[in-house]
Amino acid sequence: MSAVLLIAIPLLAAFLSILSKKIAPYLLLAAALFNLVIMFFLPEGFVVIGGFIEPLGINLLFDTYAKIALFLVDGLILVITILNLKAYGKFATVLLLALASLNGLVLTNDLFNLFVFLEIAGIASYLISSSNRKPGHTFHYLVLGAVGSSLYLFGLIILYAMFGTLNMVDLIDKIILNGNYGNLVLPFVLMFIGLGVEAKLLPFNSWVKGVLGKSNTMSGPMIASVYAGAIAFAFGRLINNLFQFQGTLLTVVLVILFLGIVLGEAMAFAATKVRELLLFSDVAQASIIALLFVNGIVIWAVYLIIANAISKLVMFLVINKAAHDTGTDDMNDLQGLFSKNILVGITFTVVALSIIGMPLFAGFVIKLSFLSQLAQSGQIAAIAIILLASLVEGIYFVRLLVKLWYKGDKEVSVNYNLSFKVVFIIVALGLLVFGTYRAPLDKLDNSIDTVAEVINNG
Amino acid sequence: MIQYAAIVLFVLGLYGLVINRNLIKMIVSLNVMEIGLNLFIISIGFVYDGVAPIITSTNTVGAVLFVDPLPQALVLTAIVIGVGTTALALAIAKGFYTRYNTYDLSKAEEDL
Repeated sequence: MSAVLLIAIPLLAAFLSILSKKIAPYLLLAAALFNLVIMFFLPEGFVVIGGFIEPLGINLLFDTYAKIALFLVDGLILVITILNLKAYGKFATVLLLALASLNGLVLTNDLFNLFVFLEIAGIASYLISSSNRKPGHTFHYLVLGAVGSSLYLFGLIILYAMFGTLNMVDLIDKIILNGNYGNLVLPFVLMFIGLGVEAKLLPFNSWVKGVLGKSNTMSGPMIASVYAGAIAFAFGRLINNLFQFQGTLLTVVLVILFLGIVLGEAMAFAATKVRELLLFSDVAQASIIALLFVNGIVIWAVYLIIANAISKLVMFLVINKAAHDTGTDDMNDLQGLFSKNILVGITFTVVALSIIGMPLFAGFVIKLSFLSQLAQSGQIAAIAIILLASLVEGIYFVRLLVKLWYKGDKEVSVNYNLSFKVVFIIVALGLLVFGTYRAPLDKLDNSIDTVAEVINNG
Repeated sequence: MIQYAAIVLFVLGLYGLVINRNLIKMIVSLNVMEIGLNLFIISIGFVYDGVAPIITSTNTVGAVLFVDPLPQALVLTAIVIGVGTTALALAIAKGFYTRYNTYDLSKAEEDL
């Protein structure tokens, strides 16, 4: 058995699903479940495809970092599929395509192959966003996505012209041997901007408001948690290993990320619609994750990706279901949403408090750990900005919780299925458990990403 | 030299995307940009007086100069992906027209 199956099986299932629309959702469930099970039986290391030993040909890197990413992506797609089996069953083929491409995105060790998976994942996400029935926003997203991946390819081809390889590990090796980073600014900037579009980094993320602001119970969690998670993992691997941010380039990147955090939180603070508040909070989180990767804090960036993905899954499910049933996501119109849905309200509150970074929740452990690591490396400006962002985050989330808990003039009636509630409870319990018992989190360290180790060992 | 022409095409396409609000014109701009990029990729593998990288009785390894075949393979993939994206963009544009009876993004601005 090979890790190629993690991409090949969903892709095969996607083709088969076209033959029968009835069995398509079940094929999706089977493929996601198959991936989750088979992952535990696959050996770690490089996977050679077609007999071409690296650096020739395409190969995959299946290490602990990729395993965590795959587990998150496949698990979330399975959950979203189960919750939307009836309402969005006809999108099963698209979700299978998303499953295959996102798995490929986090597994591949070939940078052109990464572009191909980025494009396939992009096409799947444009189709997913078309379920919002806002063709103008979907078109805007498509144009920005296509420009972003073209810029990534432009940068990559310049690197190929300079070093003659597309293999990530081989390329990093050659860059280190070459030692002249001055010539690499242009390709790195192009690739950073290209990936920044999909990673929702400011100022390349103007598509986010239109797509997530009008999302539903399938498209919202898919783009805000699954896509955000997978792209963050792939982007993080490149930031941590390939991009040698130094000197002026490092300063420019840090300023972009700082602005992303501050403006993201400021826009979330100013938002009057709940989905806009959530999506701008997501934009700020994406910048914090990228900032951690730039500083080499891999393990806490990974935990932050996971916490953010599962938190946004719950939040977008709660709000998008409410928006579907009431026809609005205006904060004032949803006042008193939790007065009749106490269990949903409690789980939403737990998730929101975790994102803010309140003690007893996983978000606190993660925030405390990465802030102390940033302090050790003397990144005082980053700490100050993240703390300021947390303060703003605290204010707008508490304001939102107060609105949603206290009954208003109008009665808000939303019925959440049992399956939704089960997911909410599991996520809330997970955040509570890891917030009070952090020993399992400390077991892993930055070495989960094995690229540096492979290069050092030749 | 051809690389500069490719970059000019790429920038022209990007410019077209920025100034146009008509969906069809934007799709054409997207294609111009992609053609510029594809030409740039092809130009990377070009070698003066090079021949196709196929070993024959007359073209033996070391005897002749071969062009780099990898950019050609990459461009084939990029073209296929570009066609897929264009097809999807056209389908979305049709959906937009059905809904708003126009291809102009700015005329449906209140909904965007």
